[in-house]
Amino acid sequence: MKTLDPVWGVYTPSDEAPWDLRRVTHLHRRAGFAAAWDELQRDLKDGPEASIDRLIAGKVSLHSPSEFDSTANLLADAAVAANEPGRLKAWWFYRMLFGPDPLGEKLTLTWHNHFATSIAKVQDLSAMRRQNDTFRKLCRATFGELLNSSVREAALLVWLDAPANRKGHPNENLGRELMELFTLGVGNYTEADVKEAARCLTGWTIEDGKFAEVATRHDDGEKTVVGKTGKWTGADLVRVLLENPATAKRLAWRLCDVFFGEKAVSPEALQSLADGLIANNLDIGWAVGTILRSKAFFADANIGTRIKGPAEFITGSARALEMFDPAPSTLALADWCGRMGQDLFEPPNVGGWNGGRAWVGARSMITRANFVAALVDGTNAGRPKAHDPSELAKRHGLPTDANALITFHCRLLLGGDPTPALTARLAKGMDRKMVALLLSAPEYQLG
Amino acid sequence: MAEGYHMLNRRTFLKSSSLLALAPTVPVFVTRTARAAEPAKDARVLVVVQLDGGNDALNTLVPLKNETYQKLRPRLKIADKDAVKLSDNFGLHPSFRQADKLIKAGQLLAIPGVGYPNPNRSHFESMAIWHTAKTDPEEYKGYGWLGRALDTSGGDSYTITNDVPRALRGRRSAAIALTRLEDLTLADAGTVKNATGPEAQQDLLAFVRRHAVDGTTAAEKMSAMAKATDGGNYPGTTVGERLKLIARLLKADLGTRVFYTVQGGYDTHATQQFTHSNLLFEFAGAVNAFFADLQTAKLADRVTLLAFSEFGRTIKENGSAGTDHGTAGVVFLCGPNVKSGVIGSLPSLTELDKGEPKMTTDFRQVYATVLTDWLGIKADVLGGSYETMKLFS
Repeated sequence: MKTLDPVWGVYTPSDEAPWDLRRVTHLHRRAGFAAAWDELQRDLKDGPEASIDRLIAGKVSLHSPSEFDSTANLLADAAVAANEPGRLKAWWFYRMLFGPDPLGEKLTLTWHNHFATSIAKVQDLSAMRRQNDTFRKLCRATFGELLNSSVREAALLVWLDAPANRKGHPNENLGRELMELFTLGVGNYTEADVKEAARCLTGWTIEDGKFAEVATRHDDGEKTVVGKTGKWTGADLVRVLLENPATAKRLAWRLCDVFFGEKAVSPEALQSLADGLIANNLDIGWAVGTILRSKAFFADANIGTRIKGPAEFITGSARALEMFDPAPSTLALADWCGRMGQDLFEPPNVGGWNGGRAWVGARSMITRANFVAALVDGTNAGRPKAHDPSELAKRHGLPTDANALITFHCRLLLGGDPTPALTARLAKGMDRKMVALLLSAPEYQLG
Repeated sequence: MAEGYHMLNRRTFLKSSSLLALAPTVPVFVTRTARAAEPAKDARVLVVVQLDGGNDALNTLVPLKNETYQKLRPRLKIADKDAVKLSDNFGLHPSFRQADKLIKAGQLLAIPGVGYPNPNRSHFESMAIWHTAKTDPEEYKGYGWLGRALDTSGGDSYTITNDVPRALRGRRSAAIALTRLEDLTLADAGTVKNATGPEAQQDLLAFVRRHAVDGTTAAEKMSAMAKATDGGNYPGTTVGERLKLIARLLKADLGTRVFYTVQGGYDTHATQQFTHSNLLFEFAGAVNAFFADLQTAKLADRVTLLAFSEFGRTIKENGSAGTDHGTAGVVFLCGPNVKSGVIGSLPSLTELDKGEPKMTTDFRQVYATVLTDWLGIKADVLGGSYETMKLFS
């Protein structure tokens, strides 16, 4: 294989790029949903290699209850049984807030965005939950495994009208999105390819809530898709698309979109990662590991250059402030997330959320500020007590005078000491109002 | 009521004036509103409704006495006798009986066959083309046609959607997205104002900060208009609620010239008959109620509504009693100032290009006409020269 671009080389701490609180908080914000003070201190001491190993192994949280898996399953079962979408959204917030594997949850969210499917049309919580579990189970697998499972999920098949696509009665919905969104990306196929792809996929349907192929509905004639000709089935189509280099490029783009800030990856570095993916059988785990360990990931250009998405903003704030016991209502958190523009399980369309600067607008800034007020106050976030910054500082043996509290919260939430100007701005609020000021500040929206 | 409006307008103006004293921390759109505070009351307003997903034009504006149409749609066709007659050759889907008042008053205009050359059948690509009025892939990822128009004319826009649509994105013009009035109320305005901080150097931080300032200012405006009249008898549908909210914002007289909202669900690939009928029922009912409400508030004369979809659907129904992504579609203009009936012609259903009809009206001609003849904005922001049509009376 071609050698990877040097920016993908392993980061080692140096005077110019030290392993400090700034980089530890950066790692947790991007690879997970921020971290509590004890987790930050542990990783600061253990160094990058051990910290990243832990993230990849999914054993990060020091605040995950021992009965996490069984509780999570109960919550999902109950949400499905009650047929309440809000509770399914709350289940996911429970997982993000309390789970031992924040990187896994972040990747699950990434695949939910990539294969964006909405309850609004699917109307089947059981299928939505199964799809979500598939994303989670295969979040670090090869893209081939993930794609093959994802396109056979009942929720996605309903969402893209697969059962209506039969021999002689083509329905292009699945074929088109499979090429445009899931694999090749715009510009790498023609309208004729869409029609041929739809023919390959004829006969795909759902029986007893599961994927099935009906041979009599399948068009078994010859098709030509992106220049390859054969009597392709749906499985053949997926294979042909996986072999196309445009798919590796789109996969590399998707992962960089999650882990990098604006303009932090050059087109050459992106192409190099795509080449690496091809050489590694489109192994997502390989790419994620390469990214998280890389010089590029820890470069100054990548720190604080990304706008936090609503789920990151909400979960990260609650995790960093150690709101575990009592925790805010996950139902309330899911509702706030929707109001900020990221309604989990209900993406705006098959293209998913645009992310980046699209998260920010006058209304969403108001909503973020209102959420912050609710979170620190407790009441409108379903938490029986308010946030007490002194109590948090005491828990970690830190001083509790006003200035010390400002410094502590800036280290925890921004990864560094405040400038005198920021200290003056935050000093306009006392106790939890100071924390509300910090969480509402433009600086905190970046991560 | 007149006095109430006067007072509100005056209050808004005073608020803006006091904000001006705080320059340069005042966001762009507020200074502009303050500058335009006096004439804003009479300014003409455009309301855009995006019929999202690709509206089946052929079953919306139905060609009458047309055998080809009836053959293309063995299961889905609308019988001539059921259509709501709009001209000798066209009738609307029966759901448009919900817009009875509007149609009788001659305030509904339909334009068939609206599209662009080399139609793109991807939702996102085609929507981007309609939003930007650009067909070149290099260009249709950029600023929107209304955002660019507002860049030159000044004025802000409100969108009753979760996100700001590309159509409203401009280099300078601010678009505010909301779905309910509470979305623009700050729980702790004092804290948020203190949090904003000084002008930032870093581009991304400056971007976030500018929107934080926009947010606090919008919240101030909204609390000033919170007592504005409610009113209007709307159907309890999503699109009805959204148009009702637009009417409230109009009554608050914020000086806004462009409003935008979306009615989703038009991507009817399978068993579309009832779905499509319901969608049009909700659309027609909401638009009818909207203009009735504005009429009562004596605002209707200032308002034109434009409804479009990213494409029409395949003229031939598919094997699952639905229709797939097609090409040219139907555009509606509504309001007391538009011509009534049908302008433009139905594309031939037999002389086809890649199996679908060829457009008869370029959508940019409609945009150019709306910009020049309604909003009074030069159409060169569209980035080309497009012949205007006679769409307004």
